Amino acid sequence: MSIDWITVSAQIVNFLILVWLLKRFLYQPVIRAMDRREQQIASQLDEAQAREQKAEIKSQEYQVMLTELERTRDNILAETHAKAEQQKRQLQDEARREVNETREHWQRQFQLEKAEFLSNARNQIANTVQNIARNALADLADIELEEQIIASFINRLGSLDQRSQTLIQKSSRQSSEPVRITSTFKLDTAARKRLTHAVHANLVDGIEVEYSESAELLCGIALTAGEGQLSWNLADYIHKLNQDVEQAISPDTQPGTEKE
Amino acid sequence: MTISPDNIIFWQWGTVSLNATIVYTWLVMALLTLVSWLVTRRISFGTTISRWQNLLEVLVTGIRDQIQEVSHQQPGKYLPFVGTLFLFIAMANLLNVMPGYMAPTGSLSTTTALAICVFAAVPIYGIAYEGPLNYLAHYVKPTLLMLPFNIIGEISRTIALAVRLYGNIMSGTVIVAILLSLTPYFFPVVMQLLGLLTGMIQAYIFAILAMVYIASATSAHAGKPGSTGNRK
Repeated sequence: MSIDWITVSAQIVNFLILVWLLKRFLYQPVIRAMDRREQQIASQLDEAQAREQKAEIKSQEYQVMLTELERTRDNILAETHAKAEQQKRQLQDEARREVNETREHWQRQFQLEKAEFLSNARNQIANTVQNIARNALADLADIELEEQIIASFINRLGSLDQRSQTLIQKSSRQSSEPVRITSTFKLDTAARKRLTHAVHANLVDGIEVEYSESAELLCGIALTAGEGQLSWNLADYIHKLNQDVEQAISPDTQPGTEKE
Repeated sequence: MTISPDNIIFWQWGTVSLNATIVYTWLVMALLTLVSWLVTRRISFGTTISRWQNLLEVLVTGIRDQIQEVSHQQPGKYLPFVGTLFLFIAMANLLNVMPGYMAPTGSLSTTTALAICVFAAVPIYGIAYEGPLNYLAHYVKPTLLMLPFNIIGEISRTIALAVRLYGNIMSGTVIVAILLSLTPYFFPVVMQLLGLLTGMIQAYIFAILAMVYIASATSAHAGKPGSTGNRK
């Protein structure tokens, strides 16, 4: 256990040299490398974070855009839907109107045809009834139809109820015109005399009576005094018949129900 | 039986002699420097590093962490001194497994040299840290009476540092030598392994104690000298 002081001083120098060598070749490079790596990693992390933020912003932008796009799409869809609906309704309306027009046209046509048919029928029926009545009466009683009509009219004139009588009398007095008797057929003098007599006897004594002819009456005879009127003709019957026929052929009427 | 490598002379020229201590010290220095140079020559700054670089980084990081733990200061300026103490002693002791090698730390000359370095480093770091007056004021605290005791404590812990390392390493070598003559073949190998462990522990203790002494001189609140206890 001895100390060699030369060796001690040499070892001190050796140690100091080793300190310098290791500092130069070990500590400095290693620490520099570690620091540099740390910096690198930190900067990479920063970069990654920045990139992530950027991506986040981008993603949010896209999200907004997507929402916008969806809304626009929905709007367009709704608009188109509404438009289609409107067009459909329009087309339906048009079709309905067309159908209505066609139906109305058809109904008008039908009404016209019906009226024409009825008019023809009325005339024909009147003629037929007239002929039948005439023939029947002639066969049965050997009496002219005209005679019978006149008789019937005079009979009716005589059996007028009080109210009608008063009405005719009042209106003939109020107007200055004479009593007018219209007939379908020509009245001979005897018939005129009988009628004038009946008027004088039942209505107003001594009033002037005028005679005329008209085809409108349809086989009958009518008395006009001012606004009052009394008539007997086949038109009433035929009118009734017409009504019956019309009712029978009308599409509105159900069979078995009667309509006034 | 030669105990100290100082007595093995390889080459002599007049009064200048080249003994085994210096030669093996140079060997350790050359080995440490060569490995460091080879590895840091192609040092990588990236995230992929070689295994050797990884080893060196682990070593340096470990030493830095230890220094920080003991001193509670930035390890930068203490690293070369304390780190070299540890690496040199550890490498010198590890090479003990090599046949024909004698650890330079088994020579009292070497351990004295290292202890003198620590003895010098403590005031150097202390003065660099808080100025010469503030540093010297530590010696007269708490009273002027304590000055001789402080100085004695400073010197005695340095001697203790030197003798502790020397004694441990020398004893290991001596024990192996004795056992070789008594029970060859197996038992000396176990003692060699134990010697390796002891060598590593001594390297750690020497470096840590040096750091503790320096830290006690540089930390503002450390008025009393560091621990001088004879651990091991």
